[in-house]
Amino acid sequence: MSEQRDLIVDTAERLFGDLVDKAMLDSAERGDWQQGLHASLVENGFHELGSAGSGTGADELFAFLEVAGQHAAPLPLADTLIANAWLGTIEGASGIGEVDGDVVRDVPWGRAVRRVVGITQGSREVVVITAPEVVRQGANMAGEPRDDIALTADAQRLQVPVDPGHWLALSRVALMAGGLRSALAQAIRYATEREQFGRPISKFQAIQHTLAVMAAEVAAAGRAADAAVSAVGSEREEAELAAAKSRCGEAVAVVAEAAHQVHGAIGFTHEHRLHHTTRRLWAWRDEFGNEVAWQRKLGAIVVAQGADGVWDFVTSGR
Amino acid sequence: MSSLKLDRVGLPESSEALRTEVRGFLEANRDSLPHPNSDFSSGHDPEFSAKLGAQGWIGMTWPKAYGGGERTFFDRYVVTEELLAAGAPVSAHWIADRQSGPLLLRFGSEAQRAEYLPAIARGESYFSIGMSEPNTGSDLASVRTAARKVDGGWVINGTKIWTTDAHRNHFMITLVRTEPGSERHAGLSQLIVDLRNDGAQVRPIRNMSGGEDFNEVVFVDVFVPDDRVVGEPGNGWQQVTSELAYERSGPERFLSAFRVFVELVRAVGDNPTDSELAAVGRIAAQLMTLRRMSVSVAGMLEAGKEVAVEAALVKELGNNFEKLMPDMARLAASDRRSSAFRRCYEETMLLSPSFTLRGGTREILRGVIARGLGLR
Repeated sequence: MSEQRDLIVDTAERLFGDLVDKAMLDSAERGDWQQGLHASLVENGFHELGSAGSGTGADELFAFLEVAGQHAAPLPLADTLIANAWLGTIEGASGIGEVDGDVVRDVPWGRAVRRVVGITQGSREVVVITAPEVVRQGANMAGEPRDDIALTADAQRLQVPVDPGHWLALSRVALMAGGLRSALAQAIRYATEREQFGRPISKFQAIQHTLAVMAAEVAAAGRAADAAVSAVGSEREEAELAAAKSRCGEAVAVVAEAAHQVHGAIGFTHEHRLHHTTRRLWAWRDEFGNEVAWQRKLGAIVVAQGADGVWDFVTSGR
Repeated sequence: MSSLKLDRVGLPESSEALRTEVRGFLEANRDSLPHPNSDFSSGHDPEFSAKLGAQGWIGMTWPKAYGGGERTFFDRYVVTEELLAAGAPVSAHWIADRQSGPLLLRFGSEAQRAEYLPAIARGESYFSIGMSEPNTGSDLASVRTAARKVDGGWVINGTKIWTTDAHRNHFMITLVRTEPGSERHAGLSQLIVDLRNDGAQVRPIRNMSGGEDFNEVVFVDVFVPDDRVVGEPGNGWQQVTSELAYERSGPERFLSAFRVFVELVRAVGDNPTDSELAAVGRIAAQLMTLRRMSVSVAGMLEAGKEVAVEAALVKELGNNFEKLMPDMARLAASDRRSSAFRRCYEETMLLSPSFTLRGGTREILRGVIARGLGLR
């Protein structure tokens, strides 16, 4: 890991750890913009990670998003950092959604951001809306705002230097990798604190094995995510991203289920924090292509190699 | 608690050059590759092992003084994964190269290293592992096979079981109790048994797929001289556990079913349906991820890091993958008629129960991971 990336991750860890709490997550779920957290992030320059002139690139941007996912940070951080990196003009907060006729769909925090970007899968042309008008307020299954924004005639059309759909899918990969780590950590903490039959439930082999299975999934998701980030801009970008979106989504199915099982009924209450992580994981695995959508893309790449080219394809991922 | 973070490690350019070399060698030796699946216990071929030895591809990381190549773990990784993916018959030298050699390097006497290692590196000397017994499986510390001290050596009595290739190999490094009355981890030692000359009785056990790879090895007053004790008498437990990390993270832990995937891709051909593409992509995503994890562990070994937990993670996921993947492939190929796929699937499926048993059961590995998580 590069020293710079380490430093960014450590700083972000501390900042999110200090500021993001249950009260903030509940407030955000009610649709309230978290100005305090937002201001702290901007003050520390995190919104410029990955942008030209910041001395950082995709590596640092997605490493930061992994930490944001770990803490369920309730702001449109992926959108903000990515829009700044693509457009070269820095804005405190942006939301990005897909163009669908005369609206941009499911824009994170569309109601609160100053800039909205609309993408079309497979195209490098995006639309930029600077005075967003909300036509429908909504939320994903984690209660994260996802609003439809009017695509007005004065929207700017711009070419971006990357594949927008890839970057957004990768942002969800990074968020999932972080969220998965958090679900495991929460389950371990709970299992070592909760006593039944006169001892912490972490002492029971059944619970230990459940946690071990979770740990293996978390490690796999983390490695797959890291591989996809490393491949940004290379000829392996789509293949590694597809593998990561598929693998992380599969890990979510196992880890979120098991985290709840370990927590018992308390983890099913709204009062408990766990669901802020698990519901996000369930939402993120669907956003910008679910497992099957990406498996088909990867399958098409593999089949195109022919049976005798499969091994060479697998090993040319470095 | 282990961070469970696998380092971002890629194979260096020099190892990739070696890959090209290995592929050229395999192409030139195509006739030696009759094995449709890539299970590492599937082909015992002394001639092929000797050819690999001549290439310098056995004992690659060992000192040159003992016939090794002083190469990196990355180079070794590339050679092993290429051999497995091609279904090469590597089982004759496999254990000696992966496990017994490194054990002797670390704990063996100078005389033992000089005697055994060069022959292993030439691909001429093959080893088995004598750990399990009829009443000792996962609970390895319960071994009862005992060696009694006599003048000039030790006399062994007891039975080892599930000993892969004991009927074909030259030596077995055998875990025995050398202190009468000792219990559990104390009083164990490792002895090198000469399977062809010491008088141990070796009986092959037929497995459910019809093959005869593993054995029962019975010792009735079998004498082994003092110079075949590995390390200090009584240090056997520590030696055995250090050996297991080597056994758990390599590409053999997720490539056993690889040819099934290849045949699936062949069966699907150039007019795949959406659901076939999804199945191929799902398998590829898991395979690509496992390989990266395994390379990461090789890199961490190269950097001299402790990898017991990470190795257990790779084996846990890798074994599940190679066990479940043939089934995913079977369903994905439902609408295809391919006798090659069918043959490959059936052969692998019949071996698959062993994948989560050998080298530490799934249950034991989950315990190792749990310990790494600070739960034990």
